[in-house]
Amino acid sequence: MKFKAKCKSFFVKLKNKFVNFIKQLPFKFKSKFAGAKEIITQGNGKVMSSFAVMGLGQLLYKQWAKGALFLLLQAGFILYFVLSGAADLFGLFTLGQVQGDAWYGIEGDNSVVMMLMGILAVIMIIFYAVIYTANIKDVYRTQCCADTLKPAAGFKKEVSSLLDKNFHKTALTLPVIGVCVFSILPIVFMILIAFTNYGGANIPPALVDWVGFENFGRIFSLGEFAPTFFKIFGWNLLWALLSTAINYFGGLGLALLLNKKCVKGKAIWRAFPILAYAIPGFITLLGFKFMFSYGGPINYYIQAAGGEAVGFLSVNSKWMARFIGLGVNAWISIPSTMLLATGILSNINTDLYEAARVDGASSWKQFIKITLPYVLFATTPVLITQFINNFNHFGIFYFLRDASIRSEGYFLANNTDLLINWLYRMSIDNNYYSIGAAISLVIFIITSLISLTVYVLSPSYKQEETFR
Amino acid sequence: MNKAKAKVAKAKTKKVLNVAITYCILIVVAFIFFFPCLWLILASFSKSGSIYSFDGFFPSEYGFDAFKSLFTDTVMYNYPKWFLNTLFIAVMSCLFGTLLTILTAYCMSRFRFKSRKAMMKATLLLGMFPSFMGTIAVYLIMTQFNLINQQWGLILIYSAQAPMGYMVQKGFFDTIPYSIDEAARIDGASNFTVFVKFILPLSKPMLVYTALTSFTWPWSDFILPKMLLIDKDLYTVAVGLMSLGETEFARFAAGSIFIAIPIIVLYFCLVKYMINGMAAGAVKE
Amino acid sequence: MANLSLKHIYKVYPNGAKAVNDFNMQIEDKEFIVFVGPSGCGKSTTLRMIAGLEEITAGELKIGGTVVNGMEPKDRDIAMVFQNYALYPHMTIFENIAFGLRMRRIPDIKRDKNGNPVLDKNGNEIQIMRKYNKQELSAKVNEAAEILGITEYLKRKPKEMSGGQRQRVALGRAIVRQPKVMLLDEPLSNLDAKLRTQMRSEIVKLHKKLQTTFIYVTHDQVEAMTMGTRIVVMKDGFVKQIDTPKNLYKYPANKFVAGFIGTPQMNFFEGTLKKQGDKVVIDFKYSDAQVTVPYSMLMKTTPQYLDGSKTVYIGFRAEDVTLDEEKVAHSTAKIPVRISHTEELGTETLVYGDINMEGDGFAETSTRVIIKSAGFKEYQTDKVCEAALDINAIHLFDIDTEESILPRIPEYNYLDCKAANGNITFLGNKLALPPAIGCPDGSGELLIPVSAVRFDGPIKANVISCENINGSILVSLDINGGRLYALSDKVLDSGEINIGLDFKKLIIKIGADEIQPMPEINGLNGKFVMEKSSERVDGKIKNVPRYYLLINGTKLEAPAEVYEKMFAATSGRKVYNSAFRYEWTPYDFTLSESGIEAQVSETLDYGNEKFVKCTVGQETLYVKCGGQVNGTVYLVPDAGKVSVIESDRQIRIV
Repeated sequence: MKFKAKCKSFFVKLKNKFVNFIKQLPFKFKSKFAGAKEIITQGNGKVMSSFAVMGLGQLLYKQWAKGALFLLLQAGFILYFVLSGAADLFGLFTLGQVQGDAWYGIEGDNSVVMMLMGILAVIMIIFYAVIYTANIKDVYRTQCCADTLKPAAGFKKEVSSLLDKNFHKTALTLPVIGVCVFSILPIVFMILIAFTNYGGANIPPALVDWVGFENFGRIFSLGEFAPTFFKIFGWNLLWALLSTAINYFGGLGLALLLNKKCVKGKAIWRAFPILAYAIPGFITLLGFKFMFSYGGPINYYIQAAGGEAVGFLSVNSKWMARFIGLGVNAWISIPSTMLLATGILSNINTDLYEAARVDGASSWKQFIKITLPYVLFATTPVLITQFINNFNHFGIFYFLRDASIRSEGYFLANNTDLLINWLYRMSIDNNYYSIGAAISLVIFIITSLISLTVYVLSPSYKQEETFR
Repeated sequence: MNKAKAKVAKAKTKKVLNVAITYCILIVVAFIFFFPCLWLILASFSKSGSIYSFDGFFPSEYGFDAFKSLFTDTVMYNYPKWFLNTLFIAVMSCLFGTLLTILTAYCMSRFRFKSRKAMMKATLLLGMFPSFMGTIAVYLIMTQFNLINQQWGLILIYSAQAPMGYMVQKGFFDTIPYSIDEAARIDGASNFTVFVKFILPLSKPMLVYTALTSFTWPWSDFILPKMLLIDKDLYTVAVGLMSLGETEFARFAAGSIFIAIPIIVLYFCLVKYMINGMAAGAVKE
Repeated sequence: MANLSLKHIYKVYPNGAKAVNDFNMQIEDKEFIVFVGPSGCGKSTTLRMIAGLEEITAGELKIGGTVVNGMEPKDRDIAMVFQNYALYPHMTIFENIAFGLRMRRIPDIKRDKNGNPVLDKNGNEIQIMRKYNKQELSAKVNEAAEILGITEYLKRKPKEMSGGQRQRVALGRAIVRQPKVMLLDEPLSNLDAKLRTQMRSEIVKLHKKLQTTFIYVTHDQVEAMTMGTRIVVMKDGFVKQIDTPKNLYKYPANKFVAGFIGTPQMNFFEGTLKKQGDKVVIDFKYSDAQVTVPYSMLMKTTPQYLDGSKTVYIGFRAEDVTLDEEKVAHSTAKIPVRISHTEELGTETLVYGDINMEGDGFAETSTRVIIKSAGFKEYQTDKVCEAALDINAIHLFDIDTEESILPRIPEYNYLDCKAANGNITFLGNKLALPPAIGCPDGSGELLIPVSAVRFDGPIKANVISCENINGSILVSLDINGGRLYALSDKVLDSGEINIGLDFKKLIIKIGADEIQPMPEINGLNGKFVMEKSSERVDGKIKNVPRYYLLINGTKLEAPAEVYEKMFAATSGRKVYNSAFRYEWTPYDFTLSESGIEAQVSETLDYGNEKFVKCTVGQETLYVKCGGQVNGTVYLVPDAGKVSVIESDRQIRIV
């Protein structure tokens, strides 16, 4: 009964939040545009000149260095656009029109590269927009100072403020550029790929075209992808839930065990899991693969005892392989959750336990009523991250099972593959890039929805004050 | 009177049982965690290379052959070169990555600027994309910039993607009281001075944690190097070891042990910092 | 070593919340000022605005005569001690104290390695700014350390020291800078009780030794009372009272201050006052208690409280009521108290009781009373005793505004009067009313503000006494047996003097009619504009900006002091986009050929002064004029005397 009520209240809350958000949108836009409106209506001639030529306003205000800087930036951008930017942008939409042909010696358009450069051009335009706005805002600020007789900061002072008040601007420039080029650009690229037919036969030098939602259709309903997709998705979800739960409670249990007063030499006991944690993942995975292989030690003992060699990870063992996967993942991940839990447990107020003891609570009760709520509260963000990481755990089944294994009823996959493994096979091994990208997008939507929901529902979001 | 005595006795036996079970579980757990490592270590001392010549978990013959061939037989598998490659990449990305991450985290923690909330939400959102997704795009970008088959390409990517994981560091910086900043400002320090002279010295655990995690990542990452490095001589250890087959199991074990040992040693020395690091970032302030 | 001036200081957050409202104060050099109040009252915010850690939304802050509104904290020559000490954990104590000095540059002349001055081309000394050298630094740090007794800890780190020692280091870090003002933000809150009392006296000692202005923030009224020379009591961003500890204790201006200062808290009751002849009966609600006091005590009270209909708060402190049998026997002000329980403190006993016989005396209600009694005296529970009140220590407050109805300086004198034929008779004197006051015949009430009494005129009065209350002098006059209070700027000798009235400030109530005083503030809404005009400057023609107050289409040139303050209080170009309210007194206008257009509605002749009532748009203004004026006039206010209020945030800028 309580659960139903909780669900209901959750959806009501979600609806309210959404409604509020929509309601607030007009105000947010208004405030943003109010600023722009003010500049346009009240800017003097110098400000207006900066609309046309960046830096002109600053120069007219005798701010030589700043004006020159903006002018240079604008020149740079214009140069970029003339040389390649405009063409790149255009290419983003057409994805190439000239098919290369080695026979005729025609150098064709490389669609994929064109898309990439096109996205880059978009990013550059956004950068340009940001700097352009900064330029306008800067001139307007100078005008405001002039109109209210406040001294505008000199160039020297502005540069020194980059180390002081505006230190964040200086410090964040490199990281932002880096993230934009190496994180945002790739992701946008992949999202766009999901809407093309890149893959299979359609790879450069052949031309790639936009196909809209066709790929998604193929995943969900048509053709060979749909059944595989749902089967893998179901297993993926189950895997993520089970592995997260096992790792979390395993680590917590271990931490509690080691926390007990009667345990001597805690450092030594802790060393063993840390040993497992320290060894790089792929080594242990390959090791376990060998351990469970036909010629490996476990089968050796089974054969020595007179039995048949068991194909633990072979083509036929579906649940056995899955079970081994869970176990190996636990072996790898429990040490880290154990460390995390140890850190958090050390922050719990021991008074709580003493009060509970006086009240007559058994250890189990103490665990459920004191430890668990606190730890859950403190680690909900981490739990969400771990769930997502487990959902997308590439290495575990990539190494554990042979890449050549295919299962019945699965297209290019086997029955322990997670969505991300299937993705890899499709994209890298079989060139189905666009389908792979579409699947990535679907994974993203699922994982982000789940994590947002849990995060919003979690106690740490709602009751921040309870444990402080 | 007897009832009380009985109760005390019962409690005592309960306690003893408790301790016994605890230690039993601990021993089992320790064994589970230790055994595979032991197996690998033993395997690296096996005389023959292949896994089939093992007596179950134990090699039939022992010898240093695997280690020897690891370092001497560099025709197909140039292990020493892989090791140096990975070391170089790890050190460089550790340096750059730590610098960028710490700067980002400091700015997010101490400054309240307009796009701050937007950037935090964007980072959270970006982190939810499967990490694998952008790899193909990264490959293409690297091709454009002619950074394929170059170690600096890897270093660039690792360093550029490092600041995305600033949350833990930011959580730590949030715990440094803001009044220290204020006192320093009254004393005449600029924000940069505050960062260098106050925040950094107080963040030693976090610096170590960040450096450690960014150093160890290149050793175990294989997707990116596999994609970006073509020459066998440029392989990192991860990619290289993966290319060894079942027949070279001993060598594989030897190579693994060789890189695992320094990492394990590092982890043990700094486990204190690790616990601090994870808890600090995980607990919601 | 400097004084501070805070004028119309506001702190308004972007979401509109006002943390500090119109804070005004003059702080003299060497004072020990304490800001005290409950959490969230704005005391820390005000301190941080003085330090420069928070931006001042509006108002002017001067330290030592210099306006410091936009200045960085390090340039303000202040030092701050934080509640959590804010010591730098990774530095030694020596470094902690020395850090501020290391950041500083002192003026000096250029010297070579041996200390001899280096001269420039013309043989003059070169002025440079240099850092402190090692010896100077050590000398200063050691000096500060000695004053605070922490010399032996200089090589240690903060985490090796106790709370009290850390606080001393924080103090040392502050005093080594030899600041003009020392700011302390609840420095003793993190210490245990015993340490707190010890550090309290140390800080007072420090203040005496350093002879610097101290501003101290605390929520503990005991600290405030014992340490401050003057105390600022704040609540919800407003200043409730600024006064010396003695005056805050004896003359609280409102119920909040009365309840905040003093332990145990003042007892508050509800009741009514009824004047019966020359006595006033104080009747307690929810109780049979009744106390009679002479009317002379309540002469400064507004009569509307004395007719028995208005409920007021009655307050008296635990130390001003006694259960001592001897005193009770001789007392004329007795109330019955039912004893509930006692708290034994050793030096004294706190007796809890209730004046309502059904009350239980535990919870704080409007009938619970706490009485201080001699130590170790036993009292029986539920016994009804008689308690004697010190009638000189009774405080009365209005039930809605919670302001004291026994102000030290009353606002009005309330007198009975009779009007006939343009004359008014009161206190046995007949005065001719000026034509401006059209008063119907009849008897009623005359309210004379204390500031409306002139010290020359036709009325004869006797000066009984002069009281100096926080700089203002209140004169008590006797006119034919009746009492009149007046404000004077100098002390007057006892004896006969002549009195006159400022008629435009009088309020006369006859029957249903009420003659209002002439408003002293004329307010006009307007905006602020800038115009550029071509003028000849230094032989060149330039576009010179000029700044105007725009009222009803008329431009009034604003002088520098005015527009500078307006620029300082607003950001960006908001000053040109906001609505303002400009206020002047009636004396600030001149009538001229051009100016703000106004329609005259009537002329007010107050005898020696004539005013004209006119309308500008929707507003009504009163302007002093020379003679009879009619029709349309043009007003030219004196822009230098304007008072400016920003309408959006309701902040007084000038």
